[in-house]
Amino acid sequence: MKLAYYPGCVAQASGKELDMATRWVCRSLGIELAEFPKFSCCGSGFSDEANEVLTVALNVRNLALAEAAGLDLLTVCSTCTGMLSLANLRYQDPKVKERVDSALAPLGIHYRGTVKVKHLLRVLTEDVGVAQVRARVVRPLEGLKVGAFYGCHLLRPADELNWESAEEPHAFEDLLSAVGATPVYYRGRVMCCGFPIQFVKPDTASRIAAHQIDDAKAHGADAMATPCPLCHISLDAYQNQAEKVAGHALDMPVFHLPQVVGLALGASPEELGLGRHLVPTAPALSKVGSGARAGR
Amino acid sequence: MTEATVKATFDIYRFDPGHDRAPRYQRYTLDLPPHTPVLTALLKIRAEVDPSLALRYSCRSAICGSCAMQVNSKSRLACETQIGPELARDGRIVIEPMRNQAVLRDLVVEQEPFWRNYDRIRPHLILDPRHPMPEGRENPMTTEEVEQFKETPRCIACAACFSACPAVEADPAFPGPMALAKLYRFVVDPRDQGHQDRLMRIQPDGLWLCLRCHLCTEACPKDVRPSERIRDLKEMAVAVQGGTEHGSKHAVGFKDNIRDRGVLNEMKLVRQTSGLVGVLEQLPQGLHIVRKKREILRAPHRIEGMDEVEKIYEALDRPEEKP
Repeated sequence: MKLAYYPGCVAQASGKELDMATRWVCRSLGIELAEFPKFSCCGSGFSDEANEVLTVALNVRNLALAEAAGLDLLTVCSTCTGMLSLANLRYQDPKVKERVDSALAPLGIHYRGTVKVKHLLRVLTEDVGVAQVRARVVRPLEGLKVGAFYGCHLLRPADELNWESAEEPHAFEDLLSAVGATPVYYRGRVMCCGFPIQFVKPDTASRIAAHQIDDAKAHGADAMATPCPLCHISLDAYQNQAEKVAGHALDMPVFHLPQVVGLALGASPEELGLGRHLVPTAPALSKVGSGARAGR
Repeated sequence: MTEATVKATFDIYRFDPGHDRAPRYQRYTLDLPPHTPVLTALLKIRAEVDPSLALRYSCRSAICGSCAMQVNSKSRLACETQIGPELARDGRIVIEPMRNQAVLRDLVVEQEPFWRNYDRIRPHLILDPRHPMPEGRENPMTTEEVEQFKETPRCIACAACFSACPAVEADPAFPGPMALAKLYRFVVDPRDQGHQDRLMRIQPDGLWLCLRCHLCTEACPKDVRPSERIRDLKEMAVAVQGGTEHGSKHAVGFKDNIRDRGVLNEMKLVRQTSGLVGVLEQLPQGLHIVRKKREILRAPHRIEGMDEVEKIYEALDRPEEKP
């Protein structure tokens, strides 16, 4: 299987561990990643609030690059997935299409709308398949209770994304079970991490993050795992702020999705960049029944 | 011929703040046809088993918006939710009051904050003197003008969105999805002269607290799609006022940021959104993060094909191009 790899901005910068883990897991499962140094930022749900048509045009350019290579797009961020999927959809509106084409046609960019945007979670559960992932596990994460945290733009609006149930998704939990971990079900798993207003009203953002972490904890989670690096910023890098607002310690390790899979497939904590997290992952790794060594 | 029934188990939230120390869940078991609406079941419980159960309802036809509640943790109109699928999936039906509103008794919540936020957006036409009301007639709109409202006139003010909204939960300043969807309806109304003023008034501690998580759009029983209209309001607010609030500065800053290198320059965005004072405020957190993630100090690479990106900006980001 070959896919056009769209790492997104964060995985190329502060969330580099996500890129490391993605490449490790894809190599291990035989997913070939085609590189596109011309890909631009998806806009992250912010730039369209200033100019939607511009943002759609930039993303249609990204989609057209993959289309020209005959590949579907692999994303590793819930927000990138949402923005690129919505570009596919908005481009079908004749008024939007006319304006986007007016900017792209002079550049020789003609998008036919054939590219599917697939998050790694979808590729692992649908294209590779949960059974195939399970068969490749060398170090089952037995004893580790993990609260999946989906990230809004992977699920909603469900009628536009056309994949998982927005209210009762199960792909992530299926994957966690496949690698031997115990999925934890809690209301917060489909809620918002607070990230979008981190720079608008930090205390409110942190209060929202604290709600979800507390909820996962109350349901017994040793760790959380997310398919979105923006959620990871909110839940891990800003967890100290959430603790301040909540008034108590949270101490919740937060994994990127491919890190959880990579651990079970035999990657070392170093190969997955676990030492780059702000909240140490070692306490969670020590829960794993056999063989797994702790990261720092 | 008698209709086939199923054994339906209801666990219903019961709480009278005046008398009870804490809420409890009371179990009722009834034999009912699977297509029975939840509301019909609740009224049967009240009529035949327990007259003390308090709930709010009126039309039983998904029009009045009174019977919104949580059915197996999801915001639903009780009158249009059948028990069969709920039982098939969860084995029982847990009934709870709406979230983000204080419980008055059992399933009845205090609606005052919801309506206060509705009042905040001035939910009435501020007639534009250039379009005076024709004497003795209604003020008609064209079909094209009505289409501008999109789905917003469908709203029945059931508060399902208000109940589902994490911004409402975390911050009483946020007006909530329903109020903002209604605001959109007035902002695009060609007979209304409040357009700019409405957009300016709603920004401080209001519009930009929306997380665009789309939980409201998912919760809405009438497909009003509040989160998408709130996005539209943000773009209109930027067109009227530019980047003046933290939220609009962040949106405009983000858009301009990508123009430099094609990918996001995280450090620069902090400056664009928060200014120098903001950068100083963020400094301790920045130092906290940089211990593990030194990349945030470095400007990112420039993508290949920046000439194309620049041309797209030139074509679509001219001031006169904005809506």
